[in-house]
Amino acid sequence: MENKWRFLKEKSAPYLLLTPFVIWFLIFFGYAFIRVLFFSFTDYDLFATPRFVGLSNFQGLFREFLFARALKNSLTYAIIVTTFQTIGALILAVVLNYKIRGIKFFRAAYYMPSVTSSVVITLIFIWLFQRKGVINYLLTLFAQYRLLIWVFLIFFLISQTLLVLKEKWRQRPVSIFEPSYVVLSLLLAVVITFLLKTGGFISILTVQPLETIWLNTRETTPNWAGSLAFPRPLAAIMFLNIWTTIPTFMLLYLAGLQDIPLSLYQAAEVDGASTVQKFWYVTVPQLRHITFLVVTMGLISTLQMFDQVAIIGGQAPQESIITLAYYVYVTMFPRSAIAEVGMASAAALVLAVLTLIIVVIQQRVTGERRYKSE
Amino acid sequence: MKTRLLWGIMFLVLIISSVSQAATEIRIAGFGGNDQNIVEELIARFVETELAAQGVKIIYEPIADDYPRYILNALSAGTAADLFYMDIFWAKNVIKTGAVEPLDSYLQDSAVLSKDDIVTSLLEGFTVDGSLYGIPKDFNSLALFYNKDLFDIAGVEYPNSEDTWESLEQKLEKVVAIDQNFIGMALQPDFARMGALAYANGWEPFVGNETNLLAPEFKEAFAVYTDLKAKGLGLMPADIGQGWGGGAFATGNTATCLEGAWIIGFLRDQAPNLNYDATLLPKSTATGERGNFIFTVAWGINADSQNKELTFKVLEALTSPAAQQWVLERGLAIPSRKSLVDNPYFENETKEAQANKIVFIGAATGQVKPFSFKEYGGKWIDPINAALAEVMSGQSTVEQALATAQKRLDEDVMK
Amino acid sequence: MSELSSNQQSQVELQFRIRRKRWLNVGAVYLILILISFLFMGPFLFGAISSLKDNPTEWPPTIQTAQLSPRNWLGAFNLARQAGSGGLFGQFKAGKMVQLKVTYRFPAGHEVVLPEVSIPVRVAGSGQAALDLTQKYAADYLEVSAVEEIKRWTEGGAIYAEYQIMISNPSHFNFDIVPLNLKVPYQVEFVQGTLTPNNIERLGMVQSWKNISSGLIPYIFHNYDRVFNENYSRSTGRSLFLSWVLNSFFISIMRVITTLILAAMAGYVLARLKFVGQKLFFVLILFSMMIPAQVTFISNYLVLRDGVFGLSKMFGVNSLLNTFSGLIIQGMVSGSAVFIMKQFFAGLPRSLEESACIDGASTYQTFFKIMLPLAKPALGALTILTFQGTWNDFFMPLVIITSPMDKFPLTVGLLSFRIMYGAAGMAWGPILAGAIISALPIIILFVVFQKYFVEGISFTGLKG
Repeated sequence: MENKWRFLKEKSAPYLLLTPFVIWFLIFFGYAFIRVLFFSFTDYDLFATPRFVGLSNFQGLFREFLFARALKNSLTYAIIVTTFQTIGALILAVVLNYKIRGIKFFRAAYYMPSVTSSVVITLIFIWLFQRKGVINYLLTLFAQYRLLIWVFLIFFLISQTLLVLKEKWRQRPVSIFEPSYVVLSLLLAVVITFLLKTGGFISILTVQPLETIWLNTRETTPNWAGSLAFPRPLAAIMFLNIWTTIPTFMLLYLAGLQDIPLSLYQAAEVDGASTVQKFWYVTVPQLRHITFLVVTMGLISTLQMFDQVAIIGGQAPQESIITLAYYVYVTMFPRSAIAEVGMASAAALVLAVLTLIIVVIQQRVTGERRYKSE
Repeated sequence: MKTRLLWGIMFLVLIISSVSQAATEIRIAGFGGNDQNIVEELIARFVETELAAQGVKIIYEPIADDYPRYILNALSAGTAADLFYMDIFWAKNVIKTGAVEPLDSYLQDSAVLSKDDIVTSLLEGFTVDGSLYGIPKDFNSLALFYNKDLFDIAGVEYPNSEDTWESLEQKLEKVVAIDQNFIGMALQPDFARMGALAYANGWEPFVGNETNLLAPEFKEAFAVYTDLKAKGLGLMPADIGQGWGGGAFATGNTATCLEGAWIIGFLRDQAPNLNYDATLLPKSTATGERGNFIFTVAWGINADSQNKELTFKVLEALTSPAAQQWVLERGLAIPSRKSLVDNPYFENETKEAQANKIVFIGAATGQVKPFSFKEYGGKWIDPINAALAEVMSGQSTVEQALATAQKRLDEDVMK
Repeated sequence: MSELSSNQQSQVELQFRIRRKRWLNVGAVYLILILISFLFMGPFLFGAISSLKDNPTEWPPTIQTAQLSPRNWLGAFNLARQAGSGGLFGQFKAGKMVQLKVTYRFPAGHEVVLPEVSIPVRVAGSGQAALDLTQKYAADYLEVSAVEEIKRWTEGGAIYAEYQIMISNPSHFNFDIVPLNLKVPYQVEFVQGTLTPNNIERLGMVQSWKNISSGLIPYIFHNYDRVFNENYSRSTGRSLFLSWVLNSFFISIMRVITTLILAAMAGYVLARLKFVGQKLFFVLILFSMMIPAQVTFISNYLVLRDGVFGLSKMFGVNSLLNTFSGLIIQGMVSGSAVFIMKQFFAGLPRSLEESACIDGASTYQTFFKIMLPLAKPALGALTILTFQGTWNDFFMPLVIITSPMDKFPLTVGLLSFRIMYGAAGMAWGPILAGAIISALPIIILFVVFQKYFVEGISFTGLKG
């Protein structure tokens, strides 16, 4: 008897260990998903019983102006942010991949935006993007000093080219971005610019303070993009999100960089590859699986962007920043009318399907199937 | 074994603790923020003293954010408070679900509260099929607030209740001419402001079940409002980095704005020394009429409440003449009882009392309509607001913008 | 011979050149690192500085704010001392007198007149103070005892005049708040004073101070003062901000505990056990990781509203909305947590369990005594990820907890804060101050456990 009990206990053990998760999963994912599917074919306001209406919710969605905006905004946002954050994270990781004293401090410092909650960061960013805000001020400063900056850049480039050419002429291996020469050229350019400025040859320009309205506007940007242009407030959110996510993905890349065997770089050097060539032909392909992960995570997270829209709230016109995720929320909990659960569910399904499609396309394009390898 | 015993005891404790409850509780739900302070004081001063003897315990639940969502879902789940706020903007939607108790029979039996006590124009928004479902607690309407300093510097007569939009424009022209930093009027791209002009022209938001934005009455009002910007007599608050008209007005450079009494508390905090006054909205140049909105919030009783009689008693105490007078004297809201028009508070010479008085009068002069738009709510307003913003930021002409808005209304909203 | 020495010489020279180059290289790298630091830390630092300002959206945005100028520190300190209090924290004591100096610039041809000095009644427009009409106002008791011109000079055609203003408190009461207004004619400019005014209003005609005897600390941190003093729970009297921080900690810790237990158990079984439909189940978990919370919340919200099919009624709770339990149950584990644990256990050699089995250990014993201790790195990473995720989670708390305010987690609390101070124009002072303080706990935590944070992220990268 005792033995049989033990046997049963032993046999059931794995299932018992699994049960809590399965129950949670069935209620909060399985049931939830099936219910959304069900609601999407009904008309339901939380009071009367759901009424089957066929596909009319979906038809209604694609007729609705706000939904069209949300769809367009979500897609533009996901594509642009994912692209920039991936490139930015890769570049930053390569720059930070040094073994020097204090590098840990810097890595930690850069990681700060990712630790802080999106609410805090969005609040600070709304403030930065005010009409009389810091971003406009920095842009104004740039406009005032642009002559000086150009002069400085030109002299920097001239000096750098000359120094590198000199070394090349002596047939020494030297990269275009040789740090020691960069420092030297920088100093030289600063001195020349300063002398020209004090000599009165160039001066700070007087310009009107820039007063771009970033948030509370219906204008679109960039101007040349025509109907593909996206609302300017959305551009502000893009900046914000690229800024906060670069550090997270940079850490992933850093971990990947440390796994690249040094011998590959040495072999490339023997073949006479330049720094840029090493980056393109060794680093990028070796980091491919990380890039895959970063892009997948980036796409999934950008498609569900919600926090920033909710926090900016009335600071920007809703139709300019609305995303699919936010559309689902406001349709479920409208400010003024009864909940449209059917419409919200239909939109939620569109969001889910869209995410799946984009991730699958992405997998096809990068041609790697990590998850399936199990 | 020991652990099982422990679990058993814990379970028992949980069950026992959940059963031991008694005393009649009346739950009240309202907005958070500033309003919370007022309701708390009202409960302490006027409700608890009245009902303490009957063993009633008041539980007040202020909802900090997204109140409409709270009330709809709480009502649908059967967990809503006994007594709750209903904004005129969405009240009829809730009433139609049958979750709100009609008040007619209670009012008949009441000694202290009757329909006739309340400012008549407030009741329409809470009446469905002849039954009244809510008792308005306070209200607001729009007034023309003006900055005396700017008119003094320009040597121009202050706006007054005789002004039409045309004569006001002439005054603003002179003010703006003095200094390029002066702004004639803060023009919020919002139907909640511009609509008052359309009503003054005699425009009806709904004819049958149709809305006609291309009607000449609406178009003319729309043009007058947006032209102020084109003529350099006004700016959108967003143009100067402000979120609303009050924000622009508080900077001290803006001569006028169209706001309600809600601006008063804001100005106390943001611009305590601003030298302002208020007058009735200008008349329509064409019809000589005034238009206005009524913004109001009412108390409604949950149809599923266990203690409806007692809840109505609480409602009586919250809207009693004494309670309403107390609210009025704080200068933060305008209570809904007609009799308060003679209240000595309105005779105070302070700018705040005068502004409150104008708002009080404004709710009863001319073409006044409640700020509610059938079951469409915000969706009905959005296209109009978008049109206002587009025209005022120069992206579109009046004709184009109105045509687009009309199309959106017909195809998306009122389909 | 000579060839050798020249070779040696060039070796030395090369050594020297390499060393010099390395120094320059290191310098260049640090330069770049510091520049990037500004990019990532700048917004925080500048936000922190601006949260001290009276008007954080002033133009141009400088770091030279009145609250950071030693001149004003001295002024605020001295005024509070004259008013009879410590200097750091001030109060206008009975029988004391305070002396203030201000300088004005009168444009050429303008008549020089004394400024009109007044102590106004300032009634709050919001908050509890707005309802209390019985409090004593300094305006009813304090006196402006003298306004004198003490100096006058001409500069560039304009006349400058310096005035001395004496304010005394002849009453028997002490006042916490003493506001002050000075009014001059249109186009007369305020140049400087003992304390920079908080506001310049009415086209420059009125300079106003919120509280001249506040003392140094409330002067510098006036926005933080507002955050704490204007926001407290009406029922408990506790600071809302403090409650929000504690709530966030509580919810995060609870979720970490439930996630660790459930994910480790499920992950282990999924890595080791074969059962029918396992592959499908695993694909479903992956699928769930891609589905946004905004899809499933519609049903989850209703499930919690009805107390998880009425189960919560057994515990006397009708609805799990507006409860911490609801929030914790809804997020007690996640597909990705199980995924991480499964990947980790799959990477451990099977021989460990086989030898345990030979020793006669049961499945439970093997799991709790042998496998769990081995999973420490994965559990550590999961702890950090879950904690950070929950701490920053905004959407689900927003859906589940709507009232009362002292039940909010920090993220939702901040939103209500933004709505409260942003309802009528953005009052950036308190909003920024609130954002900065609420960022502090997680930043401190991050600095202390930095290593684990960074490892946690790398871990998901490598194992995920």
